[in-house]
Amino acid sequence: MYILRHMTPDPITVSPKMLLPEARALLNEYHFRHLPVVDEHQKLVGILTDRDLRSAYPSSIISDSERRLVYERVEETAVSEIMSTECVTLGTDSTLDDALFLFDRDQPGALPVVDNGRVVGIFSIRDLNAAYKTLFGVGEKGAVLIGIHDDGSPTIMTRIVTLLEKERIPFSRVLRIFDKEVGDTIYLRINTFKIAAVLDLLEENDFEVKKG
Amino acid sequence: MNLSAPLIIINDQRFLQHDTGGGDHPEIPARLQAIRQALKSSECFSSLSFLSPTIACRKSLLLAHDENWLFRFEESVLAGQTYIDHSDNQVCYDSFDIACLAAGAGISGIDLIEEGGQKNIFCVVRPPGHHAEQSIPFGFCFFNNCVIAARHWQRKYNKKRILIFDFDAHHGNGIQSAFEEEADTFYISIHEHPSFSYPGTGYGDEHGMGEGKGTIMNLPLSPGGNDTDVMNLLENDIAQKLEEWQPEVIIVAAGFDAHIEDDMSGLQYSTELYYTLGKVIKSWANRYTDGKLLSILEGGYELRVLGESVEAYVRGILEE
Repeated sequence: MYILRHMTPDPITVSPKMLLPEARALLNEYHFRHLPVVDEHQKLVGILTDRDLRSAYPSSIISDSERRLVYERVEETAVSEIMSTECVTLGTDSTLDDALFLFDRDQPGALPVVDNGRVVGIFSIRDLNAAYKTLFGVGEKGAVLIGIHDDGSPTIMTRIVTLLEKERIPFSRVLRIFDKEVGDTIYLRINTFKIAAVLDLLEENDFEVKKG
Repeated sequence: MNLSAPLIIINDQRFLQHDTGGGDHPEIPARLQAIRQALKSSECFSSLSFLSPTIACRKSLLLAHDENWLFRFEESVLAGQTYIDHSDNQVCYDSFDIACLAAGAGISGIDLIEEGGQKNIFCVVRPPGHHAEQSIPFGFCFFNNCVIAARHWQRKYNKKRILIFDFDAHHGNGIQSAFEEEADTFYISIHEHPSFSYPGTGYGDEHGMGEGKGTIMNLPLSPGGNDTDVMNLLENDIAQKLEEWQPEVIIVAAGFDAHIEDDMSGLQYSTELYYTLGKVIKSWANRYTDGKLLSILEGGYELRVLGESVEAYVRGILEE
């Protein structure tokens, strides 16, 4: 659950003194959207996004002469002049859940991971999706999620798991979700093609399978 | 054997030898017996000719699979293992040989089309293939019969623009894996939505990657998806895509488990939809591939309706 396992370690960083054309070339070459900006000790001083760069470059609808003027200025502008300095960061002890809350609250595209101020990694919203996909097994080949009505019985989890293990039905995740609107549900990720046989087995054992 | 018959069915008694252990396993020899029976009593029986395939050689299998997997599969069955990797993938002593024979059916069919002047071939085989990955068996499948056929068509006859259309209720993950980074192959699949169905792949936003961007078309249907939903896809999304893609050859992954009576999926197709599918697919062949069409059996597990569904599909293909 720690971010260290899911981040991109040792990301490409830039100096605040780097000029914008060079930073733009880096973003284009590697298809990044975020560049951490660090000082000579690798300490984070800001973050440069492709959006910051787009705003700095001239609009496509202005005249050629105006555009040339803006280009000349942009080419002499350093990263430090347009980067964001108020950066939300993750630490080496941050978890996936910490990242989820930060993405939800501040909606950044990526978060630098810092250790005592030094950049050690970057964690993007894509990394978050990938991590949760793995956690819940979404898109895992050979697996499917089924829902069972949770009647609140204190032994229902034990009974489900015991039944599946006894019948040698491979499963990889059991989630209990309390939800007033659709009703409390236990979700099982089962790993078999023979789904109908599993549903029949559950119903024969008095579990109510949720449809859809 | 009557090679002037309008449709050649490639089939073999040996396919019954792939024993999946009995019990509740749905992929059983009786599936092919039910199909054979239904074709025998069909009004179009006189238009059919039955032919045995030649066994796929190692070189052909290697066009779609790793050599390690070939060894592992063969050794597993010879060692008397009852399943490989997962209890879904039940095998018996003969399973490797029978899977090679099933893989050979598509190859035999293509050779008949290219060198024997045939147009319509339907390979009624088991084990099925579309879940099999390069080196992993999945969901009753060991060798990917459709991908092996596609590779044969590409290599031996230099065909470009290969289309595999898959109407099995389940997404053909093995076909997508093989094709998704290639520009010359196209995979279209109508299947039950992966959130509700095996194998949990085939989301609508997957379109292929790299050079293969735009060559995967997943059309998932929600549980309850029916004839109207399929007709809508055939007439709109798919018709438009085929017009753009202009396939040179068409392979159909023909699965019949989306039938309303088949509990292997939540889809609700009627028997008659399979007749329409046959007719529509044949019209695509007439339009794009000079009438040449290779179909390969995938799923379909409810014996009460499997035979009539296949018979309806065959009738559709034969109707000019």
